[in-house]
Amino acid sequence: MENKNKYWRGLEELNNDAAFVAGKKNEFAEGIPLLEALNDDEGEFQSNRRDFLKYFGFSISAVALAACNQTPIKNVIPYVFKPENITPGNANWYASTCGACPTGCSILVKTREGRPIKIEGNSDSPVFKGGVCAKGHASLLGLYDNERLQAPKKDNNSSTWSEIDGEIAKALSSAKNIRIVHGTVNSPTTKKVLIDFAAKFPNSKTVNYEAVSYAALIEANKNAFGKAVVPSYNFANAKVIVSFAADFLGTWISPVEFAKAWVSKRKVSATNKEMSRHIQFESNLSMTGSNADVRYPIKPSMEGIILLNLYNKIAAKAGAPILPSVTNVEVVVNGIELTANELWNAKGNSLLISGSNNLDNQLLVAAINSMLGNFGTTVDLDNFSNQVSGDDSGFEKFVEEMESGAVDAVIFYNSNPAYSYYNSSRFANALKKVGTTITTNSSTDETGVFCKYQCPDNHYLESWNDAEPKLGYLGLTQPTITKVFDTRQAQESLLIWSGNNEEYYSYLKNNWSTMLGSSVDWNQCIHNGFIVLPSKSTSSNSFNANLSGVVAPITTSYTQSKDKLELKVYQKVSIGDGTHANNPWLQELPDPVSRTCWDNYLTIGKASADQLDLKDGDVVTVSSGKNKIENLPVMVQPGQANKTIGIALGYGRTNGGKVANGVGANAYTFTSFQNGTVSYMVADVSISKTGDGYKLAQTQTHHTIEGRNLIRDASLKEFQNDSKAGNHDSAHIISLWEEHDNKGHKWGMAIDMNACTGCGSCIVSCSAENNVPVVGRKEVIRSREMHWLRIDRYYTFKDTNTKASVSKEKEINADDNAIDFENVRVQFQPVMCQQCNHAPCETVCPVYATTHSSEGLNQMTYNRCIGTRYCANNCPYKVRRFNWFKLRDNDQFDFYMNNDLGRMVINPDVTVRSRGVMEKCTFCVQRIQAGKLKAKLENRTMVDGDVKTACQQSCPADAIVFGDLMDKDSEISKLYRNERSYVMLEEYNVQPSVYYMTKIRNTDETIAGTHKDAHKGGNEKHEEHKEEKEHAHS
Amino acid sequence: MSYESPLRGNLVEGGKTYHDITLDITRPLENKASKGWWIGFSIASVFLALWISATTYTLLVGIGAWGLNKTVGWAFDITNFVFWIGIGHAGTLISAILLLFRQKWRMSINRSAEAMTIFAVLCAASFIVSHMGRPWVAYWPIPLPNAFGTLWVNFNSPLVWDVFAISTYFSVSLVFWYCGLIPDIATIRDRATTKLRKFWYGFFAMGWNGSSRTWHRYELVSLILAAISTPLVLSVHSIVSMDFATSLVPGWHTTIFPPYFVAGAIFSGFGMVLTLLVVGREVLGQKEYITEEHLDAMCRIVMLTGTMVGLAYITEFFIAAYSGVEYEQYAFLNRAFGPYWWAYWTMMTCNLLAPQIFWLKWARKTPWFIFMMSIVVNIGMWFERFVIIVTSLHRDFLPSSWVMYAPTIIEICILIGSFGLFFFFYFLFVRFLPTINMAEIKGIIKTKHSLELEKHYSELLTHGPAKANHSNDMKGESVHAN
Repeated sequence: MENKNKYWRGLEELNNDAAFVAGKKNEFAEGIPLLEALNDDEGEFQSNRRDFLKYFGFSISAVALAACNQTPIKNVIPYVFKPENITPGNANWYASTCGACPTGCSILVKTREGRPIKIEGNSDSPVFKGGVCAKGHASLLGLYDNERLQAPKKDNNSSTWSEIDGEIAKALSSAKNIRIVHGTVNSPTTKKVLIDFAAKFPNSKTVNYEAVSYAALIEANKNAFGKAVVPSYNFANAKVIVSFAADFLGTWISPVEFAKAWVSKRKVSATNKEMSRHIQFESNLSMTGSNADVRYPIKPSMEGIILLNLYNKIAAKAGAPILPSVTNVEVVVNGIELTANELWNAKGNSLLISGSNNLDNQLLVAAINSMLGNFGTTVDLDNFSNQVSGDDSGFEKFVEEMESGAVDAVIFYNSNPAYSYYNSSRFANALKKVGTTITTNSSTDETGVFCKYQCPDNHYLESWNDAEPKLGYLGLTQPTITKVFDTRQAQESLLIWSGNNEEYYSYLKNNWSTMLGSSVDWNQCIHNGFIVLPSKSTSSNSFNANLSGVVAPITTSYTQSKDKLELKVYQKVSIGDGTHANNPWLQELPDPVSRTCWDNYLTIGKASADQLDLKDGDVVTVSSGKNKIENLPVMVQPGQANKTIGIALGYGRTNGGKVANGVGANAYTFTSFQNGTVSYMVADVSISKTGDGYKLAQTQTHHTIEGRNLIRDASLKEFQNDSKAGNHDSAHIISLWEEHDNKGHKWGMAIDMNACTGCGSCIVSCSAENNVPVVGRKEVIRSREMHWLRIDRYYTFKDTNTKASVSKEKEINADDNAIDFENVRVQFQPVMCQQCNHAPCETVCPVYATTHSSEGLNQMTYNRCIGTRYCANNCPYKVRRFNWFKLRDNDQFDFYMNNDLGRMVINPDVTVRSRGVMEKCTFCVQRIQAGKLKAKLENRTMVDGDVKTACQQSCPADAIVFGDLMDKDSEISKLYRNERSYVMLEEYNVQPSVYYMTKIRNTDETIAGTHKDAHKGGNEKHEEHKEEKEHAHS
Repeated sequence: MSYESPLRGNLVEGGKTYHDITLDITRPLENKASKGWWIGFSIASVFLALWISATTYTLLVGIGAWGLNKTVGWAFDITNFVFWIGIGHAGTLISAILLLFRQKWRMSINRSAEAMTIFAVLCAASFIVSHMGRPWVAYWPIPLPNAFGTLWVNFNSPLVWDVFAISTYFSVSLVFWYCGLIPDIATIRDRATTKLRKFWYGFFAMGWNGSSRTWHRYELVSLILAAISTPLVLSVHSIVSMDFATSLVPGWHTTIFPPYFVAGAIFSGFGMVLTLLVVGREVLGQKEYITEEHLDAMCRIVMLTGTMVGLAYITEFFIAAYSGVEYEQYAFLNRAFGPYWWAYWTMMTCNLLAPQIFWLKWARKTPWFIFMMSIVVNIGMWFERFVIIVTSLHRDFLPSSWVMYAPTIIEICILIGSFGLFFFFYFLFVRFLPTINMAEIKGIIKTKHSLELEKHYSELLTHGPAKANHSNDMKGESVHAN
């Protein structure tokens, strides 16, 4: 082992040259010209070619960089003292309670740099389970509405709080009769404020006023069970749901809660093949009716007589006395029988509800539910709901009092009767007789213009408050921003006027410790946003109202209205009762069924329209007695019961604000006070054509699916036999492209079409999250809405001759006399960018503005886009949206992106797109990045559920699932493998990342089976049963 | 060296001498402009102003000024683009392919057809820029080294192919046209009476001296450019058609598109040449140069190519049915019987049926009728592109996105205005440059001298020398002595 040196670097080393030995010491043989570089005196400086290139290159790039700097320099002022919890770029979340309506959903408010930018559901809430409706999402924009009152006003002139308080205190102390008119109050502390106020002013009374009243429901429960409450409904326990025109998934009482519960009985899988059956009786095609398994179009006046017959059929089974009734009720004789059987078979687990504000109807509903034993299981009178209210006769009395001059001071809180009262001029005239008129509404609305003092309330995102939507479920509202304007919380105003100068915050806190005792941790409550108290055990409810009185009026109204055209006014999912009509997000949210936005209109069935010679876009005058609406556009609505029309409430605001004013017509004029409640139907209306035309803003102009395989469905029976039912079509795929090499993550989405109700919450959530601009009516008419996510709605009709399902325009037009336009099948399908793996848009972009990410996303580089629109043309799903104009800072689009306050809602994580570029759904890439960052900071890999897209998070039906496909155990990976999953246009092999799951309809077999057992009728019934079957199989 | 068909009559009638030709062709540009020219030029200028204002408005407010929407992303813009590009094709076909095939009759028409090509490509290019959402970055699809690092263009995109196709087409056409002009410009230079004219025509004549060396080079360059241009006739419109053919939109995704588009382009191009020349020969007094024989030949081409596109229309229908793809089938049924049926049947009538009239000799020989037909052909070809683009897009895969498209007044103004742009240049061309290639045409005429010589010798052969003496006062002329 002597000679270790086996290898030489060269002959020099072997020979051990002197020069080599000397050089070996240095790392670099030739040495580094370091000294040269350090000692370069002016005269001796020698630059070589390389130096020249270096300096040249540097100077050129320096000059180029300097020349590039043309953008005006804007100075950002940093925090002098940084607030403890605010780190620029990091979001803070606050648990709160939604104040958009008294439903009181638990929410989380996302704030960035101290401003709320997004509302999301609080998924910890056992009642609302993380869902938020479209109105809730959109209520955020109300905070940044620059038309809100910016300070108190007296006689429509700006004033100060101290001045106005002094005058009001004086006026109130001298007043003999004070009335506080309020909407539904679900807040226990607010109720206490009102009680305190009444204690201070013994001559004051509160008047409950709701634009859309539930007085009959409350009254019925009072008569029947001695409990004047709105019950809680538990749809999760209901195997059979029968709804009489109650739009419980869209607008009735607590839609998010109901949707969550309803859908829990609708989701099916290979292991759970049971689902509830949902039967809907209604005249207008509501969103809820569109989702029903069986839907019976009826006239509103028939509701009572059908309930009466239903009552008798169930009473016969239950052995209860039968009421006298007209038995041969048209159209749905069989339907009543089948419905009765269904309900009876699911005794104790069924649910009957009615959206009617008619006491007789509600009494019958209570009686039937009672016979079915549903109290305690699906209907709960003890843990009642505070979410809606109504005292129609009380308000009527109040108006009379005002007219008589007996009232000398009135305070409006959270109510706007001058707009929504059925006779608004009567109300206005009566109000003029009141000496001191005070409103706490946040803008000068229709009632506000008649008020001497306007004391604007805070937005709920600026307020402290609480809510008890259901007994034992307490929510807290906390401010997420300091007050934008010089407004003051209404409760605080009332406290001050009643001489209590305590801050509402401490008043609230004290009240909570009184209510809940000191053991409850206040800070924990604020952190959680809600607290659940032990629920009351249900007491037995025996029905003890006398039903004999209901028969005569129900029979009369049925027989009287036989051939008359009836009107039912309804609430749209987006605009509701009109409170949020000034919200551009809601105005642009298309109605789930009609896909129409920015207007209300007259919906009429095809048969009635043909009779009256009306077609889409005709302008008509609708009148009933001396009430009328002029210039209302017509929309022929499939599914609308014959001889009925519908008009949406909430439009025709005159002082709603620049967005709301002049949009549509006020349909409250057709409501009326009858038999102690406000009626939302008119038994006899007439229509006359004006001869004008009007174009409605529809986001979808073709309504049938043309027999295409885009939506796959099956009946429950078929599904029970075969989990892949309806989903056997699969294409033989040949690929021309190489597969992408995904590393790390691959994002995918699945949409359960059995769950999606079409409510549109996801659309508003997406718009808020992704800064999607509002374009307005004219641009929607030109099919240029910007929504990244849309919900397609398709109708399928039945040909009464061939009994076949028809969805092709050609076939419908060819034989439209044979088509049953009244019985329509509706299907919703949310469509966003499908994030194709072989994306047709990517190959055609000349400048690589749209490319594929390593995580399977199809991404848009706005800055690179030159706007050829080729990608949009080549997109088979037509999900790409082009910025036709500059949609921000442009007064042509006067919604919110053109003013400083409105722009505060913009999500700083998402680029605001410029004119001339293409945009589309990104799968909320900013959330994906945030999720990855969070996992990285916590030094862990991502887990399923770390990232939720905005649409997924908001969905009240949990229809959307998003996740990482590389994680084989993630929910999305499982859904990809599900038998019900498919992709649209599979044969084109664009390989979308969005999977849809077949729609399963619980249509036929059960009804047919029971029908045979309870066989009483003749051939006619068999006919219908057969049709049902075909209906389901088609 | 050239073969002369014994069947074809004289390509130039009226027994023109070389000097006559020079006088005839230079008359419109050496005299004061006629009243008719002023009227035509003014009208064109008015429409040009319309084009400028409508285009400027679009550039200011955005593409939203047009009637496009979320489903129909292209309509009038790309229809006009393809229409104008198509128009250009006749010029290249005439000057390149007919040159290679030694079709001498092309010589009286190629100059104006080439000018037409250049102006039509200009119009087309204007639509490429104006249809973009952000026209201020219109240069981005050109693969220029840039400050964005490795950012490059997408060579998969047919729009990038378009960039190459059209820029090549424009530059080659321009060079070809200009080279052909040089001898004529030199002639005008030599005849110029004012200093200004002498300077400018002299400048553009590039020192042409008429030597045999210059002629030799001229011939060589012409031949080379013709060889370069020939594939362009086929490639440019093939590539334009691939904007559609390589997409997956039903009605666009069709392998027949390249030949069908080329045939359509030649069809529409000859339509436009006929429109220009039927009027031009009348107004500029060039009936002897652009004879009925010329019109006849062009009408035959129109008939042939019209029938070819008609065949393509029918083939598309057959293939859609045969493919069994429901989306394809619907797209074609929708074209013919959907809401835009009128556009489809206008196209069918104008392009397939109407040109069949040219089977009749009368139709091919009657200028006013040919003029009418040329307009019909152009209307038909505009609608062809409209039908392909709009009816395919407005109802594609998902019925929920089906919409209707209607143009706005701005789009209509831009369409009409683009004719102003075209004719503005064309009128200037007529005024300042010879519309017929004098130099070439002089090579194919049978001069009085040669005619009479022919006659003389034939008489000499039959009757002997005594009778052949009457024609002795002829003057020899050289081709470019004037």
